[in-house]
Amino acid sequence: MHDRSGRIAVQNLTKQFGPITAVQNLTFAVEPGSVTGFLGPNGAGKTTTLRMLLGLVTPTTGSATINGKSHNGLGNPARVVGSVLENEGFHPKRTARNHLRVYAAAIGVPDQRVDQVLSLVGLTSAADRNAGDFSLGMRQRLALATALLGDPQVLVLDEPANGLDPEGIAWLRTFLRSYAREGRTVLVSSHLLAEVEQTIDQVVIISRGQTMYQGRVDHLRQSQQSRVIVQSSDPNALVTALRKAGVSDVQPTPDGSLALIGSSARQVGDVALAAGVAIYGLHEDSADLEKMFLQLTSGQYAAGQQQPPPPGYGTPPQGWGPPPGGQLPPPGYQQPGRPGPQQGHQGWGGQG
Amino acid sequence: MGNLIKAEFRKTLTTKSWWGLLIPAALFSFGFALGWGNVVNEFGDFLGGSDARMLTDLLGIDPNTLPVGLLAMAHGINIATIFPMIFGVFALAGEYGKKTISTTFLTAPTRGSALTAKMVTYLVWGALYGVVIVGVASLGTVMVVDGERMPTSGQFFGVLGAGVLATTLATLFGIGVGAVWRSVTGSVVTLIIYMLIVENLLVIVAYAWLDVGWLGGILPNGTVNGIVGAIGAEAFGAAGATLPGLDEELQWSLQFFAGAPGAFSWWAAALIFTGWTLAFFGTGWAVNQRRDIT
Repeated sequence: MHDRSGRIAVQNLTKQFGPITAVQNLTFAVEPGSVTGFLGPNGAGKTTTLRMLLGLVTPTTGSATINGKSHNGLGNPARVVGSVLENEGFHPKRTARNHLRVYAAAIGVPDQRVDQVLSLVGLTSAADRNAGDFSLGMRQRLALATALLGDPQVLVLDEPANGLDPEGIAWLRTFLRSYAREGRTVLVSSHLLAEVEQTIDQVVIISRGQTMYQGRVDHLRQSQQSRVIVQSSDPNALVTALRKAGVSDVQPTPDGSLALIGSSARQVGDVALAAGVAIYGLHEDSADLEKMFLQLTSGQYAAGQQQPPPPGYGTPPQGWGPPPGGQLPPPGYQQPGRPGPQQGHQGWGGQG
Repeated sequence: MGNLIKAEFRKTLTTKSWWGLLIPAALFSFGFALGWGNVVNEFGDFLGGSDARMLTDLLGIDPNTLPVGLLAMAHGINIATIFPMIFGVFALAGEYGKKTISTTFLTAPTRGSALTAKMVTYLVWGALYGVVIVGVASLGTVMVVDGERMPTSGQFFGVLGAGVLATTLATLFGIGVGAVWRSVTGSVVTLIIYMLIVENLLVIVAYAWLDVGWLGGILPNGTVNGIVGAIGAEAFGAAGATLPGLDEELQWSLQFFAGAPGAFSWWAAALIFTGWTLAFFGTGWAVNQRRDIT
């Protein structure tokens, strides 16, 4: 029997569809009590990974488990994991209530549960309409209601915001956060970080079928907040003064500015004044998760398709895979396998 | 398993296809039984006429008590069997078409259990179709065939059992075809064209030009029809333990008349059609156990 931990574990997961490798040696873990975003560009392998987790697709190698078991070892799986998948359908001539009654019977929950989940997702008034007449947003709600029938410990949602209006997205956000606060596990995929940024605590970012980052979202954000860009009359003097002040991570940028990590605009201003160096421009590069996301996932389609992957691309550097407690990525992780910021500015320009 | 079977029944009962196919099944069964009842009754009268008397005397049969009602029932049942077969196609191909298959697999402990629940549910549906089809075929027959030409109660229960067996196997056969192909439209159109036209042409052409009489005894349509049809043919001594002195051509013609050309016996037809069903159902089962649902 499964261990009731609510933990999702993906280990060295690989899936090949003929010559195409959809997922390559993917490893990550999702812990209960949080909403974890599963992010990556379209075609990164998110849906395939989730379908392997749910037993709909058989992995070529590796394993994907919930509560320590693969999906077909969960007993009555819908009591453990509920899912909203893309490309999932409803019989167009079956009413929402009848659709739910079918699966309530399969899961073995009483029929009253149908009315409960209908009201949970706000479909009570549409319960007796055919699912074929539903809008995309209503279908997403009905899919969520189906996922909730078994009152599962784990929720897996593939692009759930698709088709939802802003009000629906806000509602879903609140719902998922409160679900996770009850100590349950929520894994939600998206190709748009901005769409889920306010919903998720943890994030797993994948690109080209591989894990690029796993950890807390705020750590990802913090790791970027300290970058200060300064343009001065005498960069060399400023660097010397900054080093004395304890700011050691200073890199020149191609346009002659300096990029500092571990400092603030105020500190740089003070140091420059004391050193008698004029400042022409000074700003903090605030954390823009979308840029980071692009940077972490860039190259899937853009550069590098013709050339072999840079060294170190295949296996993530130590320290930013699991453990999943939200480890702060070590410096330099933000440009995995790519030239650092001192050599090229691309990553920040959002070229991806 | 009980939960999954209940879910499958709810699935079938919350859409229209179960009665949308049962109504034409009943109408065709009734209509064909009525039409063939008229024909065979007159055939009975013809055999009772002085010219044919010599033949029937030769064969040692009494035309007035020949259970020609069996032939009418068999034709009614056999034509209607296509409908439970189509109903079976919806079981899995329908789920692929409407993309509900993921939810079905996600709410079942294993794919095997989901498929088993479907099989059990559709066995019951197939049997229900069978009872209705045999019932209305009997009604149509009794309305036009003279009382003494109706089958005995033993024969009637034989036809009932064979009819239910045929429709049940036909339903599973339909599930299998749909499971292998995953297309409702493709499977239904192909089954209708093949079962009602192509195979009949094959059987007739093979017999008329190639002198091959047994083809209908082994092909799917011939065998599913043979389960019921051969009972009628056997009652005339044209299948199973054949009448001595009955020449092959007359035997085949009688079988054809009974709706089971080439049938060896009702149980051989049942066994061979079970083989066809197992081939399709087994293949469908095997591929669905492993198939990636993307």
